[in-house]
Amino acid sequence: MSEATSQSEPPAKDLIGSYFLDLWLYTSKTLALKPETELKSEFEEEGEESPTALDTLNSSGGFSVVGPDKLSLLYPNANLHGHDVGVVQANRPAPLKRLLYYFEMYVKSAGAKGQISIGFTTSAFKLRRQPGWEANSYGYHGDDGLLYRGHGKGDPFGPTYTTGDTVGGGINYATQEFFFTKNGVVVGSVYKDVKGPVFPTVAVHSQNEEVTVNFGKDPFIFDLKAYEAEQRDKQQSKIDNVHIPQDASYGIIRSYLQHYGYEETLKLLDIAGKSTVPPVSVVPENSLNEKDGTYALNQRKTLRQLIKSGKIDETFSTLGNWYPQIVQDGTSTTCFLLHCQKFIELVRDGKLEEAIMYGRSEFDKFKKLSGFDDLVKDCAALLAYEQPSKSSVGYLLQESQRELVADAVNTMILSTNPNVKDANLCVHSCLERLIRQVTACFLEKRSLNGDQGEAFQLSRILNSGKKG
Amino acid sequence: MATSKKVITRVDWEKKLNDVKVRKEDMNKLVMNFLVTEGYVEAAEKFRLESGTEPDIDLATITDRMAVKKAVQSGNVEDAIEKVNDLNPEILDTNPQLYFHLQQQRLIELIRNGKVEEALEFAQEELAPRGEENQGFLQELERTVALLAFEDVTNCPVGELLDISQRLKTASEVNAAILTSQSHEKDPKLPSLLKMLVWVQNQLDEKAAYPRITDLSTAALEDPAS
Repeated sequence: MSEATSQSEPPAKDLIGSYFLDLWLYTSKTLALKPETELKSEFEEEGEESPTALDTLNSSGGFSVVGPDKLSLLYPNANLHGHDVGVVQANRPAPLKRLLYYFEMYVKSAGAKGQISIGFTTSAFKLRRQPGWEANSYGYHGDDGLLYRGHGKGDPFGPTYTTGDTVGGGINYATQEFFFTKNGVVVGSVYKDVKGPVFPTVAVHSQNEEVTVNFGKDPFIFDLKAYEAEQRDKQQSKIDNVHIPQDASYGIIRSYLQHYGYEETLKLLDIAGKSTVPPVSVVPENSLNEKDGTYALNQRKTLRQLIKSGKIDETFSTLGNWYPQIVQDGTSTTCFLLHCQKFIELVRDGKLEEAIMYGRSEFDKFKKLSGFDDLVKDCAALLAYEQPSKSSVGYLLQESQRELVADAVNTMILSTNPNVKDANLCVHSCLERLIRQVTACFLEKRSLNGDQGEAFQLSRILNSGKKG
Repeated sequence: MATSKKVITRVDWEKKLNDVKVRKEDMNKLVMNFLVTEGYVEAAEKFRLESGTEPDIDLATITDRMAVKKAVQSGNVEDAIEKVNDLNPEILDTNPQLYFHLQQQRLIELIRNGKVEEALEFAQEELAPRGEENQGFLQELERTVALLAFEDVTNCPVGELLDISQRLKTASEVNAAILTSQSHEKDPKLPSLLKMLVWVQNQLDEKAAYPRITDLSTAALEDPAS
């Protein structure tokens, strides 16, 4: 037997198996690291780092002093002219891939003249000028309450601020604006006419002025969450006006239930749909889509139930009776998934010795499958723990793993439908295709917009509107 | 003058699609949310068994809510009001507009059934006082009473009040109020998601040519127009 090191193209039907194997691998990599947090926080997923402190390396000619915690700034001497501003930027530019960015500055002392400011500047900024006095910089100044955006003359903007006040500076990527707050209230906003990354910036200029900065370590005075919700609602009302066909959702839900084999639910939904007022538009029973959708519906339902109750032996025998072509090739990915699940079920039942013997007799023949090493390692790792469900491989014992295997078998059966031309079409339900499309479109839109703004996150939609 | 659009081929677009990982759990939640919000309680119960998805609302409350909705849809407004108060007396107390619309529907049903005297009495005793408090209510009241003035009610200027759509509107309003009182969103999330898809594709169309989905029921990709 030739030792094939590279994976040759698997047969068409096993493309389906490979898809689910890859999905398992993906889950393994993402969940295995943090069993407690099922889903990475939205921001972690974007992989951007936020500013955490003031930058001490790149400060100006020592006009101001940054405190040891790197979150405070003092102007010790008297200033002499307009080019000895004690201005400091944050240690990183504001992250882009979110709806809003925000930080605050507390005025500990307005010193002699209260020439304090908060704003945003680029990496090219001359670190001896007030933010807003140079091109591509923006600053809200405390002594006159004006907004400076690139010239020496500021625009009327908001109130002045002094000792004891907290002011905040923010970026709204949806509207492409900078906004500023004073003591928890929005003062105003201005169009962000600068490309590329911008640094949160604070400045002091008269003797004994002192400020502290908060990049999010402590709670903000401003209710950022509420503001964020408000901004999202504004976006949402634009979207609410879009027209979609009546009963589009109902149809997609039906097709979802058909696709995954939730037969009983589908029956009840159809009955209910006929008696709603007005009745939901009935799908013609012998339309092509309907026939394909209900192909082997009862059998798929039965097999899903078997797998979800952990009855893998029965699954194998039932498949052998109904769809021998799926389990004929004992080295197929589907068989691998089923054997792994059997192993997992044995561990779940505490039958560790039996599990080990099972693994030894069955796993070896799947050596050539990509991802084999990692996945078998995960399965085997279950044996090492007294409480495997709490370990880093605990995800294997969750329902989601049974679901994955059930979905794989479901798709394999769908692919046996002689009407299906492309086996790949069986993998994703209509709903899944719609979600992928909307996600990809938002990502593309963002990327064409300088990568600014938030992506489409299904989890955010699902969790919105939840109270408490 | 439009700048040239970025062209994304089908092959490249499908790669981007394949990079999107959708969790099965999340899709199940979307489905459950739809069944629950729309009130398909038996289907929701069965879906919970078949998929292991937990509903985000107590299924028992759905049956009650659906009973109210049905009562309004069938024109049994008095019955509906009683049921709503049984469910939560605060709902009508804190929702004067809803209460007015329910009373208005009662009036419409009386008129529909030819009970002219009863209708007038009802309008004067129950609805007129509310009309005094609120200009909008007064106008609605006047429109409704106007039904009595016409021989051919279905073709008169306010004929739409007798249409079933009026009952459905009121039924929807009461459904939403009950959901809100239970701290649940009144609309299912799926239609919103579909609207987002349509919206973002329209936005992206300005800058790029890429495979679009036009038929939501099949989610079929159409090759970019070249």
